Amino acid sequence: MVVSFIITLPMIAAIISILKKKDVQVLNIVSVVSVFLELVASLILLFSVAANGDYVFTRYFAVDSFGSILLVIVALIGFTASWYSTSYLQVEVSKKIIGFENIWSYFVFLHLFLLAMFFAIITTSPIFMWISIEATTLSTAFLISFYNKPSAVEAAWKYLIINSVGLLLGFFGTLLFISSITKTGGHTLVYWQSLLTNAPNFDPMVAKIAFIFVLVGYGTKIGLAPMHTWLPDAHSKAPVPVSSLLSGVLLNIAFYAVLRFKSVTDASIGPSFSQQLLIFFGILSIVIAALIMYVQKNYKRLLAYSSIEHMGVIALGFGFGGAGALAAILHIIYHSLAKSILFLSAGNIFLKYSTTKINKIRGVLSVLPISGTFFLIGFLAITGVPPFGIFLTEFIILSSGIQNHLGVTIVALMALALVFVGFLRHVSSMFFGKADENIIHGEMGNRIIAPIVLLVILLTVASVYIPTAIQLLVQSASQLY
Amino acid sequence: MFFELSQIHAVSEAMIFLSVILMLLSKRNVSILILYIIQSSGVIILMLSQTQHEMSLLSLLAVAVVFFVKIIVAPRFLYKLIQQHYLKFAVNTYLGTTLTLIVMAVLTAFAYSSIFKPLTLLAPKNETALIQALAAIFISLFLIINRKGALSQIIGVLSLENAIISFALIAGLKQTAGLEIGIMFDIFIWIIIATVFVSKIYKQFGTLDITTMRHLKEE
Repeated sequence: MVVSFIITLPMIAAIISILKKKDVQVLNIVSVVSVFLELVASLILLFSVAANGDYVFTRYFAVDSFGSILLVIVALIGFTASWYSTSYLQVEVSKKIIGFENIWSYFVFLHLFLLAMFFAIITTSPIFMWISIEATTLSTAFLISFYNKPSAVEAAWKYLIINSVGLLLGFFGTLLFISSITKTGGHTLVYWQSLLTNAPNFDPMVAKIAFIFVLVGYGTKIGLAPMHTWLPDAHSKAPVPVSSLLSGVLLNIAFYAVLRFKSVTDASIGPSFSQQLLIFFGILSIVIAALIMYVQKNYKRLLAYSSIEHMGVIALGFGFGGAGALAAILHIIYHSLAKSILFLSAGNIFLKYSTTKINKIRGVLSVLPISGTFFLIGFLAITGVPPFGIFLTEFIILSSGIQNHLGVTIVALMALALVFVGFLRHVSSMFFGKADENIIHGEMGNRIIAPIVLLVILLTVASVYIPTAIQLLVQSASQLY
Repeated sequence: MFFELSQIHAVSEAMIFLSVILMLLSKRNVSILILYIIQSSGVIILMLSQTQHEMSLLSLLAVAVVFFVKIIVAPRFLYKLIQQHYLKFAVNTYLGTTLTLIVMAVLTAFAYSSIFKPLTLLAPKNETALIQALAAIFISLFLIINRKGALSQIIGVLSLENAIISFALIAGLKQTAGLEIGIMFDIFIWIIIATVFVSKIYKQFGTLDITTMRHLKEE
């Protein structure tokens, strides 16, 4: 019942948004209320999974421990993004950055985007999951080109082509995984569970080739280097609430797909093959992102590269396994919260300064004291400064790698230090000093700050206290993947 | 039955493989489009050859949907774009003809290498057709990378999808008809969105040559 509610709500919200396209008030209310209800439903599902184990709705829809965590992340970040969008778009309309008539299409694609992500988590079929993740590409392509500027169209095209190619390779890998079933079974719908059951019959060499295709394919969507080239452009060109969803949520969904195939591969040929590949792509992503972040000139791109870095850290966590996998799951939660805080605060900075170039921004703390403080909190959290949760998860991930992968751990540690130095360098140049005289000091209202306040509270609380239900789910999920 | 199933597989895959090679060498957009139709026909023949064993209404519907999307909708949309924007000739390639031929030969040899030998065990009777499908996958990827035109890139993605589907059909990885329709629906939406973006690119840049898109570099 709850599952059908989660799937139906964004559909209804999208339909209402199409029908009421001229009524901005209705569009705003529908957006916030529908995603809030999705959040409530996701939380109900999460506690149900924590109490009773996997939630099986039908043969086609089920939610496991990791899926329930991801559902809540999608709904939570979706809720704050929708809430923030209502004020953000209003300011953009008043500044004539966008037209009034663009708002309805924004919300329609936003609801479809959320629907595709929910579906990807809930479906029990790897092919349906592929269709859903491909649907996220299609719905977000329009959101990335929302401003209809040459650079936005260019970023969206790059995103569309690179991700489509990546996902087709992922599709090929998926079909190869399915070969383990068709050899023993027939042409029935293939489920994750049947793939796991048949994993011992899977030809080891085919399993290896299939996993490589899946990792490269979905890895493109995750933004793992060297398939990451679309990500900084797309995430920096989209409206900030969408960027917060792209960085904070969508990458996790693609990671979920890889992890599900990883568990099948591991059941077939043991964990070392998939772990080595994850370590390779993980460390490559961290190093490349760290180097580029240091010389970055655009703060939205800085945040996008930070996402590549964190996907690398997560890949490293699952690659190291054991406590590293557990920390990687927690890292996903903390990264989603911290990245959303950063993107939404960056949105306020953009509205005030009308630029994304770091060297054109000075004195953010004096101009935007609240948003500036939130950005600083986000910066401290994302770079792993204690007491924020990312400090703990990075510490555990690196600790779990020391024994068997000392070289990789040292390189990762150095790269993470470089990330901190690079980020600090940019933040200090933007946040301190004297702002331009023509910049008007002060925030743009409470409504645009409220969603960030919620995220900051959640991140701070989650850094020191994790509810027992989520602890149980994280532990259970780390054993699965 | 006049032909063995393996013969049909071999002929269809040869159609798919040859058409992607000719796509790479072709200079005219309309020729590339015709080659895409020929390639898609190969996929449909493969689907039909497998459907005759099942003869279910849903399977036939799946073939009809594939036919509708690949033979009617996609070419129509793309032809409209060619006419709308006077795109008689395909935009240049990064590599010249000689180098293109060399790369194609290397990619085909790569598909024949021992690395992918395990995949031929999925359908040992159709070993050559499977390797050709793999080669078509690699060459389609090369087509997307080597072409500078947005339209050629779209056809490259669609050709990649054809090559993957043909591999799956020959390897016996056929999906349920419902899923095939779902996948086709996804491709159908993709085609619509890609053509919308091609028009947006033309509107913003006055050309479909993606090398003129340099706004992100300048930022």
